Amino acid sequence: MSEEERFHHERLPCGVEFAALPIAGRRTATFEIRILAGMANEPSDKLGIANLVAESIDKGTAKRSGQALNDAFDAIGAQRSLFAGREAFVFRCTCLPEFVGQALALHVELLRTPAFPEESCAVAIDLAKQELTALDDEPDEMLRKFLARHGYGEVLGRHTFGTRESLDRITGEDISAYWRSHFGAARMLVSAGGVVDVDRFSEALEARFEGFGNGTGDGRATFPLEFSPGRRHYDKKLEQEYIGICWPGVPKTHPDYSVEVVLLAVLSGGMSSRLFTEVREKQGLVYWVGAWNEHPRGAGMMFAGASSTPPNCDKTYRSLLREVDRLAEDISEEEMARAKVGIAAKRETHGDATSSRVGELGADLFHYGRPVPRQEKLDKVMAVTIDDVRRYLGEQPRDRLCVVTLGPRPLEDQAP
Amino acid sequence: MSKTAGFEEHRLENGLRVVIEPMPHVRSASAGFLVKTGARDETPALAGISHFLEHMCFKGTQKRDWRQITIDFDNLGSTYNAYTSKERTFYFGWVRTEDLEKQVELLADMMRSSIPADEFDTEKKVILEEIAGSNDQLDRTVYDFIHEKVYSGHALAWPVLGTQESVGALKQEQMRGYFDERYHAGNMILIIAGAVDPADAVAIAERICGSWKGGRPRPDRIAPPKLPEGAALRQTDRFQQQVLAYLHPSSSGKDPDREDANVMASILGGHNSRFFWNIVQKGVAPYVWSGRLDYCDQGMMLLGGFCEPEKLESLQEAILREVGKVSESGVTDEEVSRVKNRVRTALATEAESPYHRLMQMVQDVDVLGRPRSVSERIAAIDAVTPSSIQAHLERWPVGGKGYLASVGPREWPEL
Repeated sequence: MSEEERFHHERLPCGVEFAALPIAGRRTATFEIRILAGMANEPSDKLGIANLVAESIDKGTAKRSGQALNDAFDAIGAQRSLFAGREAFVFRCTCLPEFVGQALALHVELLRTPAFPEESCAVAIDLAKQELTALDDEPDEMLRKFLARHGYGEVLGRHTFGTRESLDRITGEDISAYWRSHFGAARMLVSAGGVVDVDRFSEALEARFEGFGNGTGDGRATFPLEFSPGRRHYDKKLEQEYIGICWPGVPKTHPDYSVEVVLLAVLSGGMSSRLFTEVREKQGLVYWVGAWNEHPRGAGMMFAGASSTPPNCDKTYRSLLREVDRLAEDISEEEMARAKVGIAAKRETHGDATSSRVGELGADLFHYGRPVPRQEKLDKVMAVTIDDVRRYLGEQPRDRLCVVTLGPRPLEDQAP
Repeated sequence: MSKTAGFEEHRLENGLRVVIEPMPHVRSASAGFLVKTGARDETPALAGISHFLEHMCFKGTQKRDWRQITIDFDNLGSTYNAYTSKERTFYFGWVRTEDLEKQVELLADMMRSSIPADEFDTEKKVILEEIAGSNDQLDRTVYDFIHEKVYSGHALAWPVLGTQESVGALKQEQMRGYFDERYHAGNMILIIAGAVDPADAVAIAERICGSWKGGRPRPDRIAPPKLPEGAALRQTDRFQQQVLAYLHPSSSGKDPDREDANVMASILGGHNSRFFWNIVQKGVAPYVWSGRLDYCDQGMMLLGGFCEPEKLESLQEAILREVGKVSESGVTDEEVSRVKNRVRTALATEAESPYHRLMQMVQDVDVLGRPRSVSERIAAIDAVTPSSIQAHLERWPVGGKGYLASVGPREWPEL
C-alpha cells in the first residue's frame, strides 16, 4: 500500500491547491476540481442558484457553443460529471492517459470563460422548476431534503433546486455574477491520480489558472449548523412510510471520527450489522433500512432511516431508536473486529478503481487540507476500542433527535 | 481447461461451467454464481418465486444459519449481494484476492440452501415491503406497466418481484421444488475475475462444487409474441409527473446488430445526444431518454421521457420530430465517433475493477454464452458506422406507430 501512495501536494503560486497520486499499472487517469463555493454561499433570496451555475457553466464559452464544448469532450472520450454541492462545486473527469492535457484544457475553458448564454440560463431555471415537480415523485429524495432542512438548518440544509419563488427571482445575470464572485484559483482544490504526469499537470495548472478570479476569500470558512430537534410529518399518498432520524456527529477532523466510522459499520456496515439484522432479518419490518453520516466542513451528522408500510412503521421507528441506543449497552469485540475488517478490505478492493482513489484524495484535501495516507486512516480505525465507542456514545447524547416522516400518516409513538 | 482471448474456461464433471478472467494488474478478485433462471422462467402461480428464492438463499444452509451467512460475508469484508432479473439470478462477492476461496465457498454453500421453513414467512414480509416500496417509485411503475401491457399473456409480463397476491400465496414446498429443478450444476455457472491464477481458481471450484449434482438445464423458453402496436394508459394521481414512452421492436441481446442499436440509442437519447440538446435543453422536459430492453429472444427500443403533465403534447411532438429526422437522414460519422470514444474510456475504467468486469461477464456469458474481452468489445463497437446504423434502422424502424405507454395523472392519450 505504501509503495502506491507517493503523494504530491503543493499550493501553486496561482492559488490552486494541488495534490496527486500517480499509480502505476492503471488504465486511466482521473482528476477532480473542487471550487470552494456551493449552496451555502447562495443569497438567501436566490436559493437554487448554485445548481443553475452548474447546469449552465458548460453550455457555452467565449469560443465555443455548449454543444461544441461537449463534442470536444467526447472527441477525447472524457467521462465527466459536475454538480453543485453544499460547500463546493465538484468537477470530475476520467479519461485515457493520453488525453489528460486536453481534458484539463477544456475544463480551464469552461471554468474561466463561460458565456452563460441567456437562453441556456432561462432553460436551466425552467428545468429546475420541473425538477421540483419531479422531486415530488421521489420519496427517498424528499425525505433527505426534509431531514437536511431540519437537521442542518437554513444555510447547510438548503436543497439543490431551491424553491419556485426563489427561482422566479433569479436572472441570467445573477448566475453569471455568482460565478464571477465565487470562482477563482484561490478557491480551487485539484486532485489527480492514476496514469498522470504530475509535473506536467502541475505546470499546466499554474499556467492556465494564473490570474483566475478576483481573489475574494478562499472559501475555507465553515458555515453554521443549526440543528433543530423535534418530530415532523409530511403527508403524502404513498404505500410506505419513509422514516428519517438524524443527530449531530463529529467532523472528520475530530479525534473521534474513527470511532464514528467503526460505530457506523457496526450499525449498518453489512448484512450482519445491527439495523439489517434486527429490523429486517429478525422482524421482517422493512426492505430498506440503513444508517449513514455526512460531513460538511467542520461538522458531522449521523442519520438512520427505513421505509415500511403503515402497519409496521411505528414498530420500525422504535426498533431504529432501540438499535442506536443498544450499541452502548452490548457492543461486542466480535462486532468491532468484523467492522474493522470490512473497512480495511473495502479500502483495498474499491481502491482498484482510479476514480475511487481520486475521489478520496479530493475529500481529504477538502476536510484535512492534505492528502492522508490510507494506512494512517486505517491505523486509527484499527486502534478504536469498545471503550472508545461507549465513551463516544456517552459524549454524543441522542436524547434530542430530529425525526422526519413522509407518508400516509404520522407515527403514533410519541417517544422521544 | 480451454483458453480464449484473455479467459480460461473449465467444466466440472457434474456439468458446472467455470469461467475465469485473470486480471494480474489488480489486487482484488470477484466471484459469482449465475443461475440461469429468472422471472420469465416462472409460471403465473409462481410469479416472484425466483426473486423470493434469491432472498431465501441468504437465510440458511445445512452448515450455516442466516446469521452465520451474513457474519461470514462481513468477516471477509466482502462487497456482496445478489439480484434477480427477468432472465437470471446472480449471487456475487468482491474480496481481497487472498479471500477468494472463502468467498467462493460461502457463495457455493448458499447455492445449496436449506430454504429454512422458520424463516420463510419473515422473509415474505420483507418481499411484500419491497413490493410496496417499488410501487412508490415512478420508474419502477412504468417498467412494470410496459411489461404488463406489451407482453400480456407471456411470462415477461409479470414483475420480477411478483405481486402482493402471488408472493403472498407462495408456499415453502413450491420453492423447494423450484430450487431442486433450477439450482444444480447443469443450470449454473461460476464466474471469477481478478488477480487469480486460473489453475488455482479451477482447483477451488473442483474442491467446493465438485460433489454437486448435475441436472438438466432449465426448460426452453417460449418466445414472446411480436411487440404489438397500440397504446395504453395508466391514469393515477399517485405521481405528479407523466411518463410517455414509445416502444418499438428491436434486436435481441444475441443479435449481431445489437451494437448498432446501442450506438443509435446513445446518439438519440444518451449523453450529449439529440434528445438532450433538442428537447431537454429547449426546456420541454428534464428527463428524456432512448434505450433498449433486450432479452435473449427479443428486444425493445424505448423512446420517452418524464414531464409535467401539461407538457405532454410538446414532449410527444419533440420526440417524434427527432425520431423522424433519424429515420430519414440517419446519423453522422461524428456522432458515431463520439459514442465510440466514450465507450473506450468506459471499457478502460471497467478493466481496472474486478467487480465491474464480473458484472459485464455475467451479462455476456448468460446472453451470448461466452465472455467477451475488452478488446473484443472495442472491435465490435469500432465496426459500427452510419451505414450499419442505417441498415439497422431499415430492419428495426423507429418511425412507425409503435406502442405508446403513458403513466401519470392525465388521461392521455385518448384510447
